[in-house]
Amino acid sequence: MKLSKKVILVSLFAIMALGLVFAGGGKDTAKSSQVVLKVMGYGDNSNQEGQNFVRIVSAFEAANPGVKVDYEMLYDEAYHNKVKARIAAGDLPHVAYMGSDARWGGPWQEAGAQIDHNKYIDTNLFDLSTIPADTKDGKRVYLPLGTSNLCTVVFANTKLLKELGFALPKTYADMVAMVPAAKAKGIEVFSTHGADGWAWGSCIMSSFVARTTGMTDFPERLVKGEIKFTDPTAVAALDFLTTMVKDGVLSPNSVMIDSGTGLSNFSNGKALFYMTGQWDAGSISPETQEVTALIAFPALPGEKGTAGSVAAAKQSGYGMTKSAEADGVTDAAMKFLNYFYGAEETIQRVRDGAIVAPVIKVGLPSDLPTIVKAKAAFGGSGMIETQVIDSYLTGAPNDALNAGMQEIVAGKTTGKDLAAKVEGLLRK
Amino acid sequence: MYWTNPLFVSKEECALKKRDTRDFLTFLGFILPGFIIYIFIVAYPIFYSILLSFSDYNPNIGGKWNFMGLTHYKTMLNDPDFWHAFKNNMIVVAVSVFGQIPIGFILAFILYRKQVKGANFFQSMVFLPQFLSMIVIGIMWRMLFMVDGPIARLMQSFSNDPTKQFTMMLSPNTAMIPVGIALIWVYTGFYMIIFLANLQKINDSMIEAAKIDGASEPQIFVKIIVPLLAGTILTSSILAIAGSLKGFTLIFAITTEGITRLNAEVLPIFMYRTAFQDYSNPMRFAYGATISNTVVLISILMILLSNFIGKKLGTHEEY
Repeated sequence: MKLSKKVILVSLFAIMALGLVFAGGGKDTAKSSQVVLKVMGYGDNSNQEGQNFVRIVSAFEAANPGVKVDYEMLYDEAYHNKVKARIAAGDLPHVAYMGSDARWGGPWQEAGAQIDHNKYIDTNLFDLSTIPADTKDGKRVYLPLGTSNLCTVVFANTKLLKELGFALPKTYADMVAMVPAAKAKGIEVFSTHGADGWAWGSCIMSSFVARTTGMTDFPERLVKGEIKFTDPTAVAALDFLTTMVKDGVLSPNSVMIDSGTGLSNFSNGKALFYMTGQWDAGSISPETQEVTALIAFPALPGEKGTAGSVAAAKQSGYGMTKSAEADGVTDAAMKFLNYFYGAEETIQRVRDGAIVAPVIKVGLPSDLPTIVKAKAAFGGSGMIETQVIDSYLTGAPNDALNAGMQEIVAGKTTGKDLAAKVEGLLRK
Repeated sequence: MYWTNPLFVSKEECALKKRDTRDFLTFLGFILPGFIIYIFIVAYPIFYSILLSFSDYNPNIGGKWNFMGLTHYKTMLNDPDFWHAFKNNMIVVAVSVFGQIPIGFILAFILYRKQVKGANFFQSMVFLPQFLSMIVIGIMWRMLFMVDGPIARLMQSFSNDPTKQFTMMLSPNTAMIPVGIALIWVYTGFYMIIFLANLQKINDSMIEAAKIDGASEPQIFVKIIVPLLAGTILTSSILAIAGSLKGFTLIFAITTEGITRLNAEVLPIFMYRTAFQDYSNPMRFAYGATISNTVVLISILMILLSNFIGKKLGTHEEY
């Protein structure tokens, strides 16, 4: 009796174990002839980017039954953390969202994981003249989603400006002149999502420092040691934040406004100008989009050269890693990338405001939203493009700079002290 | 007494040895799977982290391990950001040990002594944060503190100043105050449940006897309940210390990258920022491992100290 109980128990356990191991075995057998493409997607189920990614993957798999896309989709910091974890673990995806700057490309470059895409790019689809090389020897290590990513765009509510009796400002003094009228209506003149430290570097200071120093490549020169942050022209850019607060153009409360609140405030007519990257254009409410103009920050007092410049970085996008070459799935990977960058999807990205203009050979439809046309016109207006700070500056110096700018606006430090701190950390 | 010849093993001894071997194999069968998982998932990463902290190895780049001695530890001790994060972490420990535990204990006593009506409702409400995702709680508290948020509106209402804003997060000296309040809100329920469970094990007759002798509720609490639950207090303190030193999620979610996160930075966030965001430092993983190991060391020292204090106060005594 005891023996049979033992046999029954052991048999039950064996059945359970086998069931766990071989569950869905039929399904696996059917897929064993498929190429499995490991992709790290960038997006969130709650945002357009993520929803598009999931939709594109499903459509691609339906159109290409021989390829299975095994994807992991994350957003913002979670994405960056997972990239580092997977690289450190040696678990490279075949395709991933990446860039060539310090933030988006740093971990991949460090691991030697990026490959030259020149031999894989379909030149019938992609317009190579819109895809700058990432290295001095002409390598393209990924495919940007669109043309240059404009990071320091000023969105101006033209309807509110007209109601207050003003036109688009050409100089900073024009903005200062708007302060009394704006305050009387309970409106901020200038706003940004200042709760995000990185926004001060990427979306604000990248523009100001180019204007005050007259250098389009100040961040690169700073990191190389060709110029110090304590240089008076660089400090002037930081001091300008203090000036903006003193003049009432910028509120100290802006350091507590996150992206959602900032966009909401601008959409609801609580700010005349909102400075952020072009990627936020699609997040402005449709009614406000119709009356929004895109401009570069007006002329700063005493600025040198680079008038009307906008800081821009090569747009991030998807690229293959060395794992795709090692596993021999480059054909499947490029099939996926070509589908992802296809005309229909690219035009949708332009329509959603995710990119300024396409990098593929496609004509844009005439029924694009007003703000999308405004973005494309702005991007193609021939303004000087300058470097974005955090494409070159990372780690403690960048953290100190971003937090320090928030402290300047909050009145807790000065441009001189912050410049000295950043310079000290950079040269340590 | 009889002479035992090692060459001669009786049938009984043989049977005993066979049973012992079978028992031992059964024992191994039970603990081996868990032990193997523990070795790979817990012990190996700890060992790797300790080795990493004495080297210059970067897993992204690969290559050789070079022994660096105590270089990273010296760098850390000279890093003002480390001491700032350490100070904030000690504040979190203090809030946990001297805030969450006493409040949880008092709430548990009130519920146990049925001092309020609707005890089940209050118990559920206090414990509710434990059911919520820490990220959701952090974002919720962040929205409470944001410009023109609910707290700011209350301040504007009470002060009649429409420009008043909640700015505590903008100063390193006050940033931990709202964080402390959030921590108490989140974790008090956990300790309340622990104390409530232990209170229910107390023999009612002791309390009844005290009441007959004319003891008031506060006297019962101080003179009977606290000594009886001293062991539980010590255990809770150890849990609080360990949890506080590794706490990351709530503070990360309440703050945003920049001034607020730097002001409220604790050691795990400092470790994360150093190891995973400082692309300019090729030794960032080794430095991060150093900080991580230091957190564990501080945790062990504080727990030993708690045990020592507990022994002196007689928390291990049986009543």
